[in-house]
Amino acid sequence: MAPFLIKRLLHGVAVLWVVATLTFALLRLLPGGPFDRDRRLPPEVMANIEAKYHLNEPFLAQYARYIRGIAAGDLGPSYKYIDRTVADVVRDTLPPSMFLGIFALALALAVSLPLGVAAAAWHDRWIDRACTTMATLGISLPNFILGAVLIWIFSLKLGWFQAARWGSPGSAVLPAITLGAMPCAQLTYLLRSSMLETLGEDFIRTARAKGVREALVLFKHALRNSLIPVLTLLGPLFAILVAGSFVIEYVFAIPGMGRFFITAVTDRDYPLVMGVTLVYTAILVCANLAVDMLYSVVDPRVRTR
Amino acid sequence: MLESPGTNHWFGTDELGRDLFTRILYGARVSLTVGIGTALVALIVGTLYGLLSGYAGGSVDNLLMRIVDIFYGLPDLLIFVLLSLFLGRNIVGVLIALGFISWVRFARVARGQVLQAKELVYVESARSIGASHARVLLRHILPNIFAQLLVTLTFSIPAAILAESTLSFIGLGINDPYSNWGTSWGTLAQDGWRAMRSYPHLIFFPATAIFLTILSFNFLGNGLRDILDPKTRRL
Amino acid sequence: MTFSFGKSLCRLILPLVFLLVVAACNRNSGSADGKTFRVNLGTEPPSLDWSLATDHVSFNVIANLMVGLAEFDKTLKPAPVIAKSWDVVDGGKRIIFHLREDATWSDGKKVVAGDFEFSWKRLLDPKTASEYSYTLFDIVNAEEYNHGKITDDKEVGVSALDDTTLEVRLKNPAPYFLSLMTFEVTFPQRRDAVEKYGSKWTEPDNIVTNGPFLLSSWKHENEIRLKANPNFFLGKPAIDNVEMMMVNEMTTALALYEQGQLDFLDNHSIPILEKPRLAKAQGFQHVPQLRGEYYGFAVNKKPFDDVRVRKAFAMAIDRNFLPSLLRGGEQAATSWIPPGMLAYNAKIGLPYNPPEARRLLREAGYPEGKGFPAVTLIYNTLDDKKTVAEAVQGMWKRNLGVLVRLENLEWKVYLKRLQNDPPAIFRAGWGADYPDPDNFIKLFASYSPQNYSRWKNSRYDQLLEQAAREMNEQKRVRLYNDAQKILCEVDVPIVPLFSTSESTLLNPHYTGLEYNSMGRLVLRNVKARSEK
Repeated sequence: MAPFLIKRLLHGVAVLWVVATLTFALLRLLPGGPFDRDRRLPPEVMANIEAKYHLNEPFLAQYARYIRGIAAGDLGPSYKYIDRTVADVVRDTLPPSMFLGIFALALALAVSLPLGVAAAAWHDRWIDRACTTMATLGISLPNFILGAVLIWIFSLKLGWFQAARWGSPGSAVLPAITLGAMPCAQLTYLLRSSMLETLGEDFIRTARAKGVREALVLFKHALRNSLIPVLTLLGPLFAILVAGSFVIEYVFAIPGMGRFFITAVTDRDYPLVMGVTLVYTAILVCANLAVDMLYSVVDPRVRTR
Repeated sequence: MLESPGTNHWFGTDELGRDLFTRILYGARVSLTVGIGTALVALIVGTLYGLLSGYAGGSVDNLLMRIVDIFYGLPDLLIFVLLSLFLGRNIVGVLIALGFISWVRFARVARGQVLQAKELVYVESARSIGASHARVLLRHILPNIFAQLLVTLTFSIPAAILAESTLSFIGLGINDPYSNWGTSWGTLAQDGWRAMRSYPHLIFFPATAIFLTILSFNFLGNGLRDILDPKTRRL
Repeated sequence: MTFSFGKSLCRLILPLVFLLVVAACNRNSGSADGKTFRVNLGTEPPSLDWSLATDHVSFNVIANLMVGLAEFDKTLKPAPVIAKSWDVVDGGKRIIFHLREDATWSDGKKVVAGDFEFSWKRLLDPKTASEYSYTLFDIVNAEEYNHGKITDDKEVGVSALDDTTLEVRLKNPAPYFLSLMTFEVTFPQRRDAVEKYGSKWTEPDNIVTNGPFLLSSWKHENEIRLKANPNFFLGKPAIDNVEMMMVNEMTTALALYEQGQLDFLDNHSIPILEKPRLAKAQGFQHVPQLRGEYYGFAVNKKPFDDVRVRKAFAMAIDRNFLPSLLRGGEQAATSWIPPGMLAYNAKIGLPYNPPEARRLLREAGYPEGKGFPAVTLIYNTLDDKKTVAEAVQGMWKRNLGVLVRLENLEWKVYLKRLQNDPPAIFRAGWGADYPDPDNFIKLFASYSPQNYSRWKNSRYDQLLEQAAREMNEQKRVRLYNDAQKILCEVDVPIVPLFSTSESTLLNPHYTGLEYNSMGRLVLRNVKARSEK
């Protein structure tokens, strides 16, 4: 276990370094700088600002300074939000993104588990057809469209939910449904095929032959074994949920990191863009690591690999 | 100038009197080119990479797969945003940016398949009678893994269309409305979203176009998988 | 079902059902109560430190937390606030401000002249790296201190003679200097607060302010809450609380307004295409702004190095058509200084005249547009800029036979292009920093950094220098008329298109909101209608 863990951690560091380097290079190559404005600054005023943020140093020196900073856990200042550091911004905006991601994932699981099991249990019957069709529809529906539709119906027509106002009661419901729909569809699909595979195994037949009740067969024997592939999908799915939420954060005005990412890119707030990207990458790395470890616990075959 | 759907303009018109049906037809060119183009780029790059890696095996395979692992760890939508801004917000730029983040999937599939195919008897026999590496790869292994790649390809197209339209929706996607190519569906949907209360048709039709297109490719992918993948066929 | 799986499912679903019920019950909880006024800021204010803020969102918050020496009256003339009065002496080169004695900070201390001296010197300090430091460059040695040529701030020409007297010495007479006293960057600051908390001094627990409202909470990227300052020296505001939300999607913001969750929206929260519907609603209003839009020409490059071509393009634009397209209360313009400002003169400028435009173009060697080189017009990616560009492109095609290529660029890319290599035609705009023609006319001085067309005219430079020092208003207007004629009729490096308005939507339940033509949101006098 230990060498495996060390290997994975080293891999995670490598990923972070690649991301840091890539975003650093890409950002500096984009035309336009953080302090270009329609009120163009006198050169001396600009020089004061560049000196403050070390933007007057050579490219490589800036890069070295940044990497040293990250290694020491310092994500740097934000150029746009002058009074705050990137760490401040992340501390404020990560919790809403995480909360939304967890909520959406919980929602997706709550819906997909019964659907997936039902579809497999009544394989090739109308329930199965309905579930697979719904899953295909869900996979095909872009979340910005779903978000617009939900706001249209539940905020504007029915008035059940506020269109935004994060933190007020119920404000997370529409965004979580929007965000959770696609993972829900994917999970339903995966669980269904995994269940079908398990139901074909010998031990199920044995159980049935021994006269175990069908419900028990389904939920105890088959489901438990079918959850392994679902488990592997959860890690990446969670990361996608947290990172992929920026459209939803935009539409529903959620004070999360994704929204910051978009505005930071257009503002050329270099440290903020890199900071947010790195935090996302770290979440992704951790999620994958967690899944790997979980997997090796559940399925001993993996460990020998 | 803005008209609701009617007999003159089936899908209505936008604020400059342009026919929405026509704009959506032209937008199809953008979305489909991005979708299919990206998938093809990713297919070619990823498959070659995966073939090489899997066929070479050993330390080369190990190294190449480490690189793929790193690519897998990237937050792809974020990298896509930065790349497409850097490459220019036009079709070619978006195509390359999307290709950059989606080739790894093909590489993994191809490698996995090669590893299986390498063990097959007829591949071994081809090697033993002195066929060159290139010949073995292209004539014996590639056809054998083709089915799986085709399924992956079919699922990559809607993924690319989705990514492109999402980006266009938040105003960071293809932004070149005066090329003869037409306006991305995502941009049309964004325009419509901005007018949702007064003119719902402006968002309804582009959104439906995106949804139906992605749905069609997903159905196609499911069908292909059922036909080509013997494991699921059994079920 | 007795499986543990079923139980965990219940655990997931029950809270959801609960949330749904709560949400359904709560839908009317946020309606207008006459005590809390809710506005949409659109985005997180980048900084509430008025020495460092640069954008209208930050200034709109600061303007409700703070007051300065002066504020604009209804005619945009500086009227005293913390200053009781001022004396302009030595031919305009020295200004003495006399401060009121009853102005207090939120912690009870008196506002003294030294707070201004500290704030201004902090603004100018190169270590502060303030973008708006140049606002005060008219002061003796201010520029030198900011550029590091002088290190002792005592040499800068601003000093508190005693607690109620502030003396300012200027390099040259500057008629607009008093207007700058209304600009938030010149507002006083408390040295003890700034030095104690460093960059965190603007957080609710640390900040010290002197205005009508107090900062009570700041949830970043979500909302800012203000509460009325009971000790405000001009009287406590009528509303008790202000909620400032940060909803950047305009459709979402509008949905909130229509659900009764917001009381005020500005232009940034009202989609263009929804305006015709909203125009019928009570509370919808256009507020004219001191802001002009223009198209500029690269005068050093072919074909726009020929003044006849520039004139032809100017005369081929039917400006009167544009407001009907944009529906935002825009006012077509042929001259540069906007309406509402001194020296505004609608008679100056080239009128719409297609035959004359065609004649000029023929004279320049391009009959009916034949042989005209390929030229590009750039603009930044925004709906209304796109609409205007497409419309003008059509007019040029129709009237001149020239098809101009359009290119829209992301904001920062667009700025870089303007600065480094402006294309043949470009869109640009300017909003007043202070409501004086100097601010608009200086834009096209040969040394101005925003003179993207690279046009140079020494007579124009001379006129604006003269006008900037002229203390007699009528003489000033004449000088500006002459300058505008050179700009808009003789040399034509730019074509003014229109001055803009801000569309606003105010809950009819409220009255007294001031949204001035500098784009500032003033909530001090807002009150519920029933209280009238």
